[in-house]
Amino acid sequence: MKRVIHFSRLFVATAIFSIALTLVGVLGYLVKGFNLGVDFQAGINQTVQLALPAVKVSYEGKGNASFTIGADRATLVFSGADVDAKTIVFDFKTYPTLEAFAAALNAVPQISAVNETGSGAAASSLLVPTYQGNTQLLAAPMTLYRAPAADAERFGSIGEVRQAIVAQGEVSVQQVNPISLQRYIIRLQDDGKNPEFSKTVRDHIRSSLEAKFGADHVVIMSTDYVGARYSESLSRQAGLLVLGTLVMIMLYSIIRFKLQYAIAAVLSILHDALIMVTFVVWTRMEFNTSTIAAILTILGYSINDTIVQFDRVREERRLHPELSYKEVIDLALTITLERTIITTMTTMLAVLSLFIFTKGTLKDFALALLVGMTSGVYSTIFIASSFVYWWDIQVQKRDKKRMYTRENKAQDAKTELRAEPRA
Amino acid sequence: MSKTKRFIVVLAVLALAFAFLYPSIQWYFLTPKEDQALAVGSREQIREYSRKMAHTDINELEARAVAKDVQDMSKEYPIAAQVAAKAYRSEKRAVPKVMNAQAIVSAFHSKSSAFEAIEAVYRDHVLRLKSLHGNAVQLGLDLSGGLSVVIQADLDALSHKVGHTLSAAEKADAIKRGIEVLNSRIDKFGLTEPVIRPQGEDHIYVEIPGTADPERINSIIMGRGSLNFHIVNSEATTALAEYLKTNPLGVDDKTMTVAKADLVPAGFKIMRVYSKDSYGLDVFTEQYMVVDQNPGLDGTHIQSATVSSDPITGRPETNFVLDKAGGELFYTLTSANVGKTMAVVLDDRIKSYARIQDAIRDQVRITGFNVDEANALALLLRTAALPVELSVVNQQAIGASLGEDAIAQGQRAVVVGLLGVFVFMLLFYKGAGINATVAQILNLYIMLSVLTAFKLTLTLPSIAGFVLTVGMAVDASVVIFERIKEELALGKGRKAAIDAGFHKAFWAVMDSNITTIIAALFLAQLGSGPIQGFAVSLAIGNITSLFTSLFVSKLMFDFETDVLHAKYVSISWRVK
Repeated sequence: MKRVIHFSRLFVATAIFSIALTLVGVLGYLVKGFNLGVDFQAGINQTVQLALPAVKVSYEGKGNASFTIGADRATLVFSGADVDAKTIVFDFKTYPTLEAFAAALNAVPQISAVNETGSGAAASSLLVPTYQGNTQLLAAPMTLYRAPAADAERFGSIGEVRQAIVAQGEVSVQQVNPISLQRYIIRLQDDGKNPEFSKTVRDHIRSSLEAKFGADHVVIMSTDYVGARYSESLSRQAGLLVLGTLVMIMLYSIIRFKLQYAIAAVLSILHDALIMVTFVVWTRMEFNTSTIAAILTILGYSINDTIVQFDRVREERRLHPELSYKEVIDLALTITLERTIITTMTTMLAVLSLFIFTKGTLKDFALALLVGMTSGVYSTIFIASSFVYWWDIQVQKRDKKRMYTRENKAQDAKTELRAEPRA
Repeated sequence: MSKTKRFIVVLAVLALAFAFLYPSIQWYFLTPKEDQALAVGSREQIREYSRKMAHTDINELEARAVAKDVQDMSKEYPIAAQVAAKAYRSEKRAVPKVMNAQAIVSAFHSKSSAFEAIEAVYRDHVLRLKSLHGNAVQLGLDLSGGLSVVIQADLDALSHKVGHTLSAAEKADAIKRGIEVLNSRIDKFGLTEPVIRPQGEDHIYVEIPGTADPERINSIIMGRGSLNFHIVNSEATTALAEYLKTNPLGVDDKTMTVAKADLVPAGFKIMRVYSKDSYGLDVFTEQYMVVDQNPGLDGTHIQSATVSSDPITGRPETNFVLDKAGGELFYTLTSANVGKTMAVVLDDRIKSYARIQDAIRDQVRITGFNVDEANALALLLRTAALPVELSVVNQQAIGASLGEDAIAQGQRAVVVGLLGVFVFMLLFYKGAGINATVAQILNLYIMLSVLTAFKLTLTLPSIAGFVLTVGMAVDASVVIFERIKEELALGKGRKAAIDAGFHKAFWAVMDSNITTIIAALFLAQLGSGPIQGFAVSLAIGNITSLFTSLFVSKLMFDFETDVLHAKYVSISWRVK
């Protein structure tokens, strides 16, 4: 038989550690609050890119000519009743430079393309003109933009962007790496003073940037607007959902286990949620719907190990009636340790790949999950088990008291397992 | 269950999953882009397209027939040639060997019947693609790029207006009215048909894939619909219908004018008549009406509108009540126009019309239709009686390039994440790892299919949900394998150890999945789009993984034991 690891010796120390850590989190929340994301705070979030005009394309014919640009090719689709339906694909391998690309476009009847700047630049540096315009080609030329080809072509900085729009209100600007991309995330809070906020601010941001960097040099990549009422209802909803999940999991655990196990399980996932909050508060990570999603996911996930662990405690208790409760817990923890670590590791592998390969909110989300999972392993071993152990001691103390006062027999039944034997 | 039966169950599930996935494969891989571009348009745009195509075909063929062109046209005008051959056959006439222009033209009795037959083929083709698109996996805005808007219906103001707190039914009715107004403007949104659906208690969600200009969309959404009553000019309407029989494209749908200008007398204008399809969306009935340019009565005079049934015949009827001033106006209007038809117009679309029987004051009764139509009309009238103010509370616009970026990120995360998990399982559990890997691949496949079957949208967070689900779902295999290892350590044989392992791990696996599903279901209630996508794929993945890791995986083990006569379990480097 394997050597039993005496986890229970660390119960007091870990309990103090966890309480201290969550207190630090609560303190952080009281002092600093959350760095609320756009979902929870009315305002506008805009991703803009400072770019150079590259090619102007227009279409004189009839029907619809829609033009989309991807990372390695551009696609021109003709559709509608007045034109021969066809799809033309321009692979950037065939047309490596903007000059070659424009020449190929010019070869298509009724399409004309004019090079603006940097005709020698790689065609793959083109950006999609996004939703500012339509992807439909019209007689009025559509401008295609490109990212600066070299560092020498870079013309904007995060400071200049902030300076250009600071007059609009409380603003924060973030830079998307690499710097050469000149892509910025701008966040402007809606303080409710301007009733026309949603309509006017979007244009103001753009026009002030254009005033600073020149027309045809600003591309809006995405816009998120969240109104005050929406963010309020979302906050309320998020709180209720976390509470609802906890209650449901609690109910389910009570049906499946005894009360003290259910409380211990919920306590341990609550612990994980608080650790995540502590992490989010102190790293100043944005608190948004993805954070809530991460917390709820951990609530559902982290309890798994705890359940398996308790399942095992019940079973070992039955198999080894001669052992003390403390010894049973240590035995069960030792047996399930490998499993606890492996299951968490497999999930972490998946989350880690999300963390490495994605950007923005999804990356934060993966990070929050990683923190929650680590805390989950820890709380399963130390928090959940130490709680049931503590409960058992309390029950025994009470029983002893009763025995002295009423001279009753020790009520073993209290600590007996209720569930049906398995297997 | 015997192995054969279990195997059949697995095969049946996989086949069903394929059936759900097939439309996606067809749409994304086998449909040309130019056809996709047509199919994502609104019905209105598809109709316009097919009419124009048919019109062009016929005119060109006629011109060629006149020019005595004898060339075979079945290559150049495949659809017209096909329809012509069918027309010959249906009338038991001999199909000409060479389908030249003359042969095609003379297959039909009139130009209009040719037009209708050819147009139907064009239209059916695009509509088939459209329904294919509807059955394929939908890409979320973060992947395809586009615009989403959450619109709030101002129920507080409405509650203030009616003077009491709104009941759940009244709220639902208010949202329906908001959607009714938005649906009327559906083809103003652009070349791609938007998705419009209620969300929560007082929100409406609008999604426009592809590219759209937020400014323009805002102006389309804002504002209440304007409902009016117009008197119909029956003579002009009949004359116009006659004219259109010979000139199917006689009305310019953009300007709503007709080439033969004297058909529409001064002070009147052409409007289109709409009805509801089975989805509650407006469909153009192909009917035009000539109506008085100025509304006879403005809908703001309507105070309430309800549906009841005639006490004698039991037929449904729509009733509405006008305010005092409106009653006077309506009396003057109806008494001057008894016997004429009156149209109910929302945002320049005729949604309903009825003949004026008598002079009516403020209590109006409209009869002569079924319950659904009566309800639709009452709802329409209430859009004016109880207008719902709509305002944009959340707007997201995502450029297509970010979408492409997101797809690339998602792909890499999925591939590396899955490979990481699989390699780990194979290294750690050796032979049994193959089992777990196959179970997870099947899980992904079934998950995607369920996602399609429920018409859920694929977003970047839902891809994250996929990755996470696989990471979590493989836990079930770990729990089972660890159990099997313990049983083997006790000295049990292959079959006994595997059976005991699955049996003892069953509840642990169920418990952990059920708690995750509980959390995911709560999460699915949060906010709009992205998080829901994640939560739903997590919930679905947890359910399907139960099937693959308990049922399929056990079957694979049993197959190895009984059919391949495996004696040992390859499950660890330590246990032999």
